[in-house]
Amino acid sequence: MSTPALRRVVRRETHSPRTVAVFVAVILLVLALAYIGLEITLSLASQPALLLGPAAGWAWLVGLPTAQPAGLVIAGSVVPALIGLVFVWQAVAPGRLPKHVLDAGDRAVVVDNGVIASALAQHLTEETGIARENITVGVGHRSVDVTVRPGAGIPLERSDVQAAAEAELATYRLARPVRTRVRIETPTEKEDEL
Amino acid sequence: MNNTNRALNRILLLIIGLLFLGLGAVGIAIMAWPTATDTWKTAGAGAESWLDQAFASTQIAGGQATWLGIAAVAAIVVVIVLLILALTSVAGRRSKTVLRSSGAQNPLGRVTVTESFVSDAVKKSLADRDEILTAHVTANDIRRRPVLHVAVTPRQNTDPRVLVDHVDRLLDNLATLTGRDTDAYISLHTGLRARLAHDQRRLS
Repeated sequence: MSTPALRRVVRRETHSPRTVAVFVAVILLVLALAYIGLEITLSLASQPALLLGPAAGWAWLVGLPTAQPAGLVIAGSVVPALIGLVFVWQAVAPGRLPKHVLDAGDRAVVVDNGVIASALAQHLTEETGIARENITVGVGHRSVDVTVRPGAGIPLERSDVQAAAEAELATYRLARPVRTRVRIETPTEKEDEL
Repeated sequence: MNNTNRALNRILLLIIGLLFLGLGAVGIAIMAWPTATDTWKTAGAGAESWLDQAFASTQIAGGQATWLGIAAVAAIVVVIVLLILALTSVAGRRSKTVLRSSGAQNPLGRVTVTESFVSDAVKKSLADRDEILTAHVTANDIRRRPVLHVAVTPRQNTDPRVLVDHVDRLLDNLATLTGRDTDAYISLHTGLRARLAHDQRRLS
């Protein structure tokens, strides 16, 4: 990952391009503008307005605080404010995709978190002898969560699983260090009674 | 990878987001805050009389149409066209390149390696590995440098390190063969295909 070109590739592969949000935002704005433009054009051509002509629309807007019920206007304002907030958040937030970068000398390697999770789960199955479906692994940007359900009467040390998971993760050589959390789920008493 | 202009994406989102946010904030303010209500009304009345005057003075003789109205429509059309242009430029095309690896000029001529050769070579070498479901190889132009992209979807439960090391070796061999070490990046993917396929069978 030495050259600027590869750094750029990794940056782009691990972050969302926000294309969908931009499409939604631009289409919303274009529709609103097109409607206003249409009403102005209709009034210029002395045609009846679709909903509200520019003059009537302006008067409605100026009279908004007194003419309309307050609750309705506030509710109607909260919606665009929330939409705006979502767009601003999308613009500012990093938008990291669920992927990890692996060290690989002068080549760049980007791996979906799901690949790491399933590989780690498979490895833990081989290490502990617990069935694959009883091990759940979640991989995040900074942490890896391992949940093991060994079933009743099977002894399993949390620290052993932790050590095995950390050792396996170390062989993957993730570029960003992750914290490993292991949870051993013992069958609840309720299940014992059944 | 494509060449979507991501900075433009973010800027557009920020501007439109602030616009919506401002609209909503003004709506809430004029209902909930008396000072804002008064300001809104006086400003509204002032703007109305100004608009009336402006419309009257720009009226086209013998009709209802005014130059101001036509200018407003024209401005809206321009903004819409600009937005749509931005949208089409945002939806970036893939920046494909012809990978030309020319070994040194030798007595027999010049050796040119095209993208399809590299793609076929890498895909063939990966095909005999059972844990790989699909492999795609493309060459992109990034900052005027060709970059090889090997995208692999392995079966679930495949060790990513083992796979990456394998592809890495493969690319090393290719570089030796063609005499040119192209920048390369490897991506391992998961997805529906990986989830539906059988897990890797470990018979050995």
